[in-house]
Amino acid sequence: MALFFSSPSSCSSLLPISTNTPPRIIPRNNNKLFFKPLTCSISNSTKSNPIYSSSYKLQHIVTEFKSLSEPIDRVKRLLHYATLLPRFNELGRVSSNKVTGCTVQVWLDVRMDEFGRMRFLADSDSEIMKGFCSCLIWLLDGEFPEDVLKFNMEDLEVLNIGSYGRANSRVNTWNSVLISMKKRTQLLVENDLPSLCLLH
Amino acid sequence: MEGVVSKLPSTFKFINPNFTIRRTTCIKLKRTISYCSSSSSATALVESLSLGHITRPDFPILHQEVNSSPLVYLDNAATSQKPSVVLEKLRDYYESYNSNVHRGIHTLSARATDEYELARKKVANFVNASESSEIVFTKNATEAINLVAYSWGLENLKRGDEVILTVAEHHSALVPWQIVAEKTGAILKHVSLTKEEVPDVEKLKEMLSEKTKLVVTHHVSNTLGSVLPIKDITHWSHAVGAKVLVDACQSVPHMVVDVQSLDADFLVASSHKMCGPTGVGFLYGKREILIGMPPFLGGGEMISDVFLDHSTYAEPPSRFEAGTPAIGEVIGLGAAIDYLSGIGMQKIHDYETELGTYLYGSLRSVPLVRIYGPVPSQNVRRAALCSFNVQNIHATDIAAILDQQYGVAIRSGHHCAQPLHEYLGIHASARASLHFYNTKEDVDAFIAALKGTIDFFSS
Repeated sequence: MALFFSSPSSCSSLLPISTNTPPRIIPRNNNKLFFKPLTCSISNSTKSNPIYSSSYKLQHIVTEFKSLSEPIDRVKRLLHYATLLPRFNELGRVSSNKVTGCTVQVWLDVRMDEFGRMRFLADSDSEIMKGFCSCLIWLLDGEFPEDVLKFNMEDLEVLNIGSYGRANSRVNTWNSVLISMKKRTQLLVENDLPSLCLLH
Repeated sequence: MEGVVSKLPSTFKFINPNFTIRRTTCIKLKRTISYCSSSSSATALVESLSLGHITRPDFPILHQEVNSSPLVYLDNAATSQKPSVVLEKLRDYYESYNSNVHRGIHTLSARATDEYELARKKVANFVNASESSEIVFTKNATEAINLVAYSWGLENLKRGDEVILTVAEHHSALVPWQIVAEKTGAILKHVSLTKEEVPDVEKLKEMLSEKTKLVVTHHVSNTLGSVLPIKDITHWSHAVGAKVLVDACQSVPHMVVDVQSLDADFLVASSHKMCGPTGVGFLYGKREILIGMPPFLGGGEMISDVFLDHSTYAEPPSRFEAGTPAIGEVIGLGAAIDYLSGIGMQKIHDYETELGTYLYGSLRSVPLVRIYGPVPSQNVRRAALCSFNVQNIHATDIAAILDQQYGVAIRSGHHCAQPLHEYLGIHASARASLHFYNTKEDVDAFIAALKGTIDFFSS
């Protein structure tokens, strides 16, 4: 399916690159979602850049979506980000990975890497939802558990697409995805506390 | 005070002097016509207009832009819009006689009580209950079903008893009985669909036995649009001694519903789906059944005498209305019923049947669209709603684009009928649902927007 904004080259620089920002995220080798300081926050570039904190990236993505005054442009941007979502293994589409309470289907794979950082993969049968997941993963993949757990959904309301993003809506799937990310992070922390303490 | 309520208030008017004809497709066409009752040409014009065109001006909310497009509201099965008369009634209550009911001796309380009880009579007349005490106000239809489940269900169901439901029930008609079945050991049996995607009433008939104590069924499906023969179902059920609970949320706002003719034991509906305020629903129950039911919630209003260790309970309907009710909202519901009755439910139904058929035909002509439920025909009735999917595009994505790009409001998801969607082999569907204030122009705008949305995802 061809989607809008399929070429990241249509994005222009919005925020300056701060090479002094301390690296926080250790990217996976196969993760295409590296930060690239363009209007499109998320790029499919495979080049590694200096790594930014989730709060910095959050500020960046909020600025980006605020600059899109037309709701349909936010939809298009999300659809573009959907195309950049890292591939999700079909075998991961199991009920234990399914995010409950959603009106669309979302599967979420949550792991902790050898450095104690959280690794997320997601998939959905909705293209817009994939876009939301892409944003969430770009923001939180590679973060330490405590940063994932303190991440606030309300900070992302600017990405709202109608009732899709409302914090208290029954159809707010992506809030459910974030809650699921947090819950499963909490579970992994509880199951692996000793090794985490060593890492910190 | 029985009989003081007129079903058709002689002074009632629903024609607004200014009305707007909607755009066709994406072009906004706005005309304001002065209506004058003494002008024969204007009268002729009004007569030639559809019910939708005539009543649209009564609904202020419809005259706005959403995401830079004129609003096309097609989510009426979720909730209906409210005419000015209902809004004015609510305002009048809070401005003029807001007071608690059934308690105070003072003038405002007496007036509030009169209006509240008058609304009960209006509801009773609207569904043709034999007396107004058969109407219990609840906060919504869900609470009304829960009332029956927790009061009648826990008292009357025992291990091995059977409750028959259809796979197309709303969650509010499924979940309470799952809870009661777990507590009592009763068995839930579900009626599947025919190949025409209508709950199979012949199978329901076969499933009935002396073990059956209750049949829970919708009147009109909120997803399939199918209409069930409730009269036949109550007749068969009563023959084996079973009671029948009818979820009439999708029928009461759109057609004449007569509880005596249907011979329903319980029937529930929701104010907000019938042009009334949110926060109110009602349960109709046959007098002799309600009298035998224990309270659902304890508190004020529902008691006769309270001692420290026990209480005696009031007669129905007070027995089931613990605490201060939604007074203003109930009075607003009364105004909504006046409004609907002023138009006439048969007229509403006839218009919606025509408009619903137009919607079905228009939607069916869109490539890659699959509509769920029966095909409407001379013999097959279908409500004015269509749940559908477009091949390879998620229903929620469609709804998002329709809203954001075209200002068209439809529902997406499972419409609180997840088991039905599972049965149909889908996870979600989109749903466009009409009410009498919708027009063919609304349908045309929706179809044009849907085609644009499909192009958006396909290009």
